[in-house]
Amino acid sequence: MRGRGDTAGYPRNAWYALAAADEIGAEPYGTRALDRPVVLFRATDGTVVALGDRDAHRPYPLSLGRVEGDTIVSGYSGFAYDRTGACVRVPSQEQVPYGARVPSYPVREEGGLVWVWLGERSLAERRLPAPTPWLTDPAWETFGGQWETAANIRLLQDNFGDITHVAVVDPVLAPPALSGVAPVLEVELTETTVSFHRDWPAAPVPGWQAELTGGSATEAYPQREEGAFLSPGLWADRWDVVLPDGTQTFRFTHAITPVDARHTRHLWRVSRNFAPGEHATATMRPMFESYYRKVREILETMQQVIDRDGYGEDVNVAADLAVLQVRRIMRRWVADEG
Amino acid sequence: MTTQPIVREFEADLRVVEANSGATDVVVLDLAAPDGTDLPPWTPGAHVDLVLGDDLVRQYSLAGSPADRGRWRVGVLRTPDSRGGSKAVHEIAAGDTVRVRGPRNHFPMVASPRYLFIAGGIGITPMLPMIEEAEAAGADWRLVYGGRSRSSMAFLDELSAYGDKVTLVPQDEAGMLDLDGLLGTPEPGTLVYTCGPTGLLDAIEQRCEAWPSGSLHLERFAAKAVDSSGDEEFELVLARSGLTLTVPADKSVYDVCKAAGVSVVGSCLEGVCGTCETEIVEVDGDVDHRDSLLNDDEKEANDAMMICVSRCSGRLTLDL
Repeated sequence: MRGRGDTAGYPRNAWYALAAADEIGAEPYGTRALDRPVVLFRATDGTVVALGDRDAHRPYPLSLGRVEGDTIVSGYSGFAYDRTGACVRVPSQEQVPYGARVPSYPVREEGGLVWVWLGERSLAERRLPAPTPWLTDPAWETFGGQWETAANIRLLQDNFGDITHVAVVDPVLAPPALSGVAPVLEVELTETTVSFHRDWPAAPVPGWQAELTGGSATEAYPQREEGAFLSPGLWADRWDVVLPDGTQTFRFTHAITPVDARHTRHLWRVSRNFAPGEHATATMRPMFESYYRKVREILETMQQVIDRDGYGEDVNVAADLAVLQVRRIMRRWVADEG
Repeated sequence: MTTQPIVREFEADLRVVEANSGATDVVVLDLAAPDGTDLPPWTPGAHVDLVLGDDLVRQYSLAGSPADRGRWRVGVLRTPDSRGGSKAVHEIAAGDTVRVRGPRNHFPMVASPRYLFIAGGIGITPMLPMIEEAEAAGADWRLVYGGRSRSSMAFLDELSAYGDKVTLVPQDEAGMLDLDGLLGTPEPGTLVYTCGPTGLLDAIEQRCEAWPSGSLHLERFAAKAVDSSGDEEFELVLARSGLTLTVPADKSVYDVCKAAGVSVVGSCLEGVCGTCETEIVEVDGDVDHRDSLLNDDEKEANDAMMICVSRCSGRLTLDL
């Protein structure tokens, strides 16, 4: 039925992932988030610095300049900025122009991702990013990718909040359990998070998974789906297959960052606690990448429909319960920012 | 028909790691997960349920710091007219286990350059994380805190750190809160946050009528008096479930949904906690909002209602 989802807003007071940690070195990395230009670079002590990506002197991105020690130097004006964003040197005079600076933003590295806080600064340390230990724990093998999706963050939220579409979009990748009637969805709420799970009836694992693990492709095993909206920029989902000799688990981590009202950066990670090694990764990566690309294409099409014809009165069904709770929390975050 | 989804709030048995007297008749409990793991995040203004018995569930504001993910703190006043909740809490000791549900927040802190916090008695509890956040943000804020006497006013030590931003008004020394002085002249750009006894909240609400809409934020933990003598049955449509039901005069929407097997969340069942807030899809008639949470603008907008108490004349379609 009609949902009050017709807003394209997103909260500013949240940690958002802007890049993978291994992308950031001494070369400036220019990107955009929350409708703002941001430049990232690694200082000499190894910490990542996030500054506004626009020279205070002329409208030229700092990311087109160079990093010198702990400063970044504009490739046009030669103005140099320290890690706090303060201009510390200009080529044409001794005196640094009073108050010349670019914005600086709090940064944290977590789970191999660079998280940046672009909102009210005092809240950054009070709302730390949710931990994602499996992304760096050696017990889990992780691969992933990232790109920009030309769609509002809400369309991505809606997608992660209900996986019943997977069997429709990608029947090969999808666990066979998903093609049956969905069992009861159980949703758990806190003030700022929504998590949900379904216990699927016993079913075989997909053929490719059986092949990689040397397991049975016909034997039926109980399976469990979990999803969690942990913050506006982070989803952590999992899929468990309960085998007699242990549980095979996939964890799916989605860091999503609004670039603007129509574009969202999507950093996805697939982690597993079974079938270690390059061979299995080489088999799985293209399958998951292909599925996530299909999702991107679909969400971009949805955005085009919205751009053309506006937000409609979507018909929601029982499976949308979690999605609707996420939208409620997102609306509240936006409203609280005044 | 597919199986209806189940929705519930986070619920856990937490250990009481400290139980201290905060003031005369006030106990302060610090709660933590028995295994020491982080508790769910929350923001200033949030409250939790303490589940003290089968039919004994009470709401208490979180009074600690949202930055402390390991502990939740509540401050509870023993009330003489207690229906049993505060008495039960006062019997809890360190080392005990208590069932906690939530958190949820119907008193959220909206960003503003200026705040006026007014606390009456134990209504100080939600103000503590709010002023911590306002202070951190460099907002211009003041707190006026009234109570019967200094010895009855909790958290005075914590508040002393804020100097003259905090005005204490113990009634036995300084008389009643000067609400006319505080609120007589509307200050556009200032948000007023208040929590305390019903009489105080009513008086503040009245004085804030001249203030810009949206200036006043208050939290009640006691339900408003409701006259239910004229209640009539009405038709209820649950849009997502595809059900059409009848709500009899003596049953709530919440009761009717539960009886029909539709999973709804509820807690206080008297329109104060906000757990059962449900989106309205369509109204053919008038919604009678009987909760203590929605402000006049929100009631008029008819976007959502508390289904434990609020009713409708005619036909009501909900997003359930």
